[in-house]
Amino acid sequence: MIWTTTNHWAILSGIEGNLAAYEAVLKDIRRQRIPVDALYILGDVVGLHPDCEALVERLRSPKAGEPVPQICTGWWEEQYFNLHGVGGDPEAQALREAYGDDVLEKLWNNLSRESVEWLRSLDFGFLELDCLLIHGSTVSPSDELTPNTPPTVLLDRLLCAQANQLFCGRSGLAFECHLASGAIGSQVTTLDDHTTPVSQTLTPRKVIGVGSLSRHRDRATYTLYSPHTNRLQFRTVTPTRTPVARGFG
Amino acid sequence: MKLAVLSCIHGNLEALETVLGDIDGQHCDRIVCLGDLVGYGPYPNEVVDRVRSLNIPTVQGCWDEDIVEGLNACECSYPSQLAERRGLQAHQWTNEVVRPDVRDYLGQLPLTWKEGNLSFVHGSPNSQHEYLMPQLDGFIALERVLSAEADVLFCGHTHIPYVRSLEDGSIELRVSGPDAISQPEQQLTTSLKRIINAGSVGEPRHGRPNATYVIYDTETENADLREVPYDYRKTCAAIVEKGLPKIFAWRLSRGWEFAERADDPTHLCQR
Repeated sequence: MIWTTTNHWAILSGIEGNLAAYEAVLKDIRRQRIPVDALYILGDVVGLHPDCEALVERLRSPKAGEPVPQICTGWWEEQYFNLHGVGGDPEAQALREAYGDDVLEKLWNNLSRESVEWLRSLDFGFLELDCLLIHGSTVSPSDELTPNTPPTVLLDRLLCAQANQLFCGRSGLAFECHLASGAIGSQVTTLDDHTTPVSQTLTPRKVIGVGSLSRHRDRATYTLYSPHTNRLQFRTVTPTRTPVARGFG
Repeated sequence: MKLAVLSCIHGNLEALETVLGDIDGQHCDRIVCLGDLVGYGPYPNEVVDRVRSLNIPTVQGCWDEDIVEGLNACECSYPSQLAERRGLQAHQWTNEVVRPDVRDYLGQLPLTWKEGNLSFVHGSPNSQHEYLMPQLDGFIALERVLSAEADVLFCGHTHIPYVRSLEDGSIELRVSGPDAISQPEQQLTTSLKRIINAGSVGEPRHGRPNATYVIYDTETENADLREVPYDYRKTCAAIVEKGLPKIFAWRLSRGWEFAERADDPTHLCQR
């Protein structure tokens, strides 16, 4: 057996400022028979929800005994960066197209500059053992992998990352795409050479959508994974409904 | 139909004229150009004028983009730091001499050109800066052809011509989980796909100074990699005369460039 420092991972995405959903998932994590010793959050920790500032504070200050979350940036973080003039789309075009112009002020008032700066310090993704943990893919946080994504595209994202398993959160869906087998023949001809045809087979690999904490109002989905056994489990919890009225504006 | 496909002319008018003569001699019906009309060579305006005068369908190359959008428009524009340093010198010179109408022309070039089941790009369907190396993983190569919705993908950018056949591709996919809305088991199989790299007319890097391009017969589906000698000494002399770095004349005379060996051997664009 290969020993690592962590044996049981909880992987989640898409909190989008929903503190109640995050607390519900933490509660479920604490209930696990095999203790969770690594917590990965694959982006979209902030969003339109008015509790974003409180959520960031919660992430930055885990309680005693809780695993320190390892967090990477996602699509919503990119939108906040754009609004604060430190993103790749300063006109926030993608955000306007998806949510309209009215959303700009809401987002501006939703999060302090200090919290945005903290978000900027987060990683783009994590390579742990043979796993890539990332919001979209190495192409971009916007790259949305789903069960309907062509197998060649799924495989491309895995091979480009040199990973056997890719955990992602962009789609908000909980799924497992197992690229079980495959083959391809290839031959290259140059000006000087005809190479012998080469046959290549596919080492089994997986793309895993880890679910979302805020995609559905009444349930939050996240993923448990044991790297030693390769066991994967999708968990669904029901957050306690709390009144959501306060804003920061 | 015999289709001549050119790429990476790089301001080398002497090479272009010789290749156009060879195309005439081979009785080609049409020409498609895969971009990089400018950069490194001494005649960027003249090359663009010649391509425009012949109404050759042309896609935008990485150099064509960089001269419009600014150096290193993509972070992976150069395969090594040495190549980037040399590219900077060529970019500054070219940026100073290109006419405004030439810049406008380069700026409006499309990224892809389609003709039936043939797709034409400079680097890859992902980006004109991505190198499709002949040793690229077969499944990634297949993905690039499929993403272009083509059976034959023509590219350049590497300056070394090749034909790569991808046969009997298959992938078995099993889908599960709460949101697995698609078929639980899928089997992808693909017919023969090909990547044809047209090499480089004006900055060859296959180990000889001769210009390279490709003739594709759409009826027989035969790809003929062409290697055409031309008077590269004229271009080398013009490079030095116009004040471009002498290293460009040196490497042109040898058809080789050490700096283009990639620091990252996969050299896949992440844009």
